[in-house]
Amino acid sequence: MALRIVIDLLIAIGLFFALAGTKGIIKMPDAFCRMQASTCISTLGVLCTAIGAVLYAILIMGSIGTAVKIGLIALLILLTNPIGSHSIAKGAYKAGIRPEKEMSVDDYGRDFE
Amino acid sequence: MQKMRFPAVISTFIVCFAFWVLLTWSFEIQELAAGAVVSLAVALFAGRFFVHTKSFWFFNPVKLVNLIIYVLFIFPVELIKANWDVAKRCFGGCKNVNPGIVKVPVDLESDYGQAMLANSITLTPGTITMDIAEEEGQTYYYIHWIDVTAPSGKEAGDAIKGTLEKGVGRIFK
Amino acid sequence: MTELLIFGIFFAVMAVCLLWRVAKGPTAADRIVAADGADNLLCCAMILFAVFSGRGIYLDIALVGALFGIVDTMLVGRYLEGRL
Repeated sequence: MALRIVIDLLIAIGLFFALAGTKGIIKMPDAFCRMQASTCISTLGVLCTAIGAVLYAILIMGSIGTAVKIGLIALLILLTNPIGSHSIAKGAYKAGIRPEKEMSVDDYGRDFE
Repeated sequence: MQKMRFPAVISTFIVCFAFWVLLTWSFEIQELAAGAVVSLAVALFAGRFFVHTKSFWFFNPVKLVNLIIYVLFIFPVELIKANWDVAKRCFGGCKNVNPGIVKVPVDLESDYGQAMLANSITLTPGTITMDIAEEEGQTYYYIHWIDVTAPSGKEAGDAIKGTLEKGVGRIFK
Repeated sequence: MTELLIFGIFFAVMAVCLLWRVAKGPTAADRIVAADGADNLLCCAMILFAVFSGRGIYLDIALVGALFGIVDTMLVGRYLEGRL
């Protein structure tokens, strides 16, 4: 019974961070801040949910193959997310997308334009 | 086009075969043989792009222990702190943000180390690495930061990188 | 047992909420960021449904979704940068 509570707690923590990322994407003022909020979903949101599901698959279902596949999915999302995030940020800046409010420090624009 | 080297092919083959076993998770002799053939074909073509410097560094026990310490202890602490910070900003009305792009010096030299540090910084919420530039022998990162508390230079570098750079520096010089 | 289903439904509802940003977002970067977030949330929902129902087929769908999420993100990024 204690095991079930631990698993539920882990998935609820993942749900909390995913909710924070969702609210950030919908409410943040400009595009770059929305990228920062979306990182919240794909790190701790996915990671805590996957750890809870792995514990459930090993200790209650008793199937190692399912657990390994869930771990592989989490690892894949965690490894590929920064590449896409980096690509989108650089591309958005090069395409001329700027926040409405002026940024307080902008070294990239100072050095390359 | 680089020359094909034998140790690079062997190490790529080991990584590909481990992924095959993890994906299928069955240990019959036929499946293992099919996986070995496919992994060898992939390794023959992709080994020269996958490994650039020493091939067998991954099987060096000191570096392996450092990598495990970095992945299990140093990085999650920074990850949880940054996640909690960004979650507070998101639930607090999304108004107390002060975005900006700062330029930060980095002391790592090898390509793998720079890529790993850049990906670690991008993976912590609140900071995104946008570009890497090199001026007069010193490497600089351009980092988009959601809450600028210090202008460019050393202080911003200490606030962003924290303990990450030392951890990466112990794996890749 | 049932709470996994409820958590999975929460994840799916949040992915549907992100579609609002995909439809409205002023620029292309907003749209692709929201689509990427919805992709990751749907992967979570698929994992939870797989362990709830005990079928492995949902895990394969989640794996393919995670693999192709990076491809479309990088395609749009390269296109915005002007190097495609």
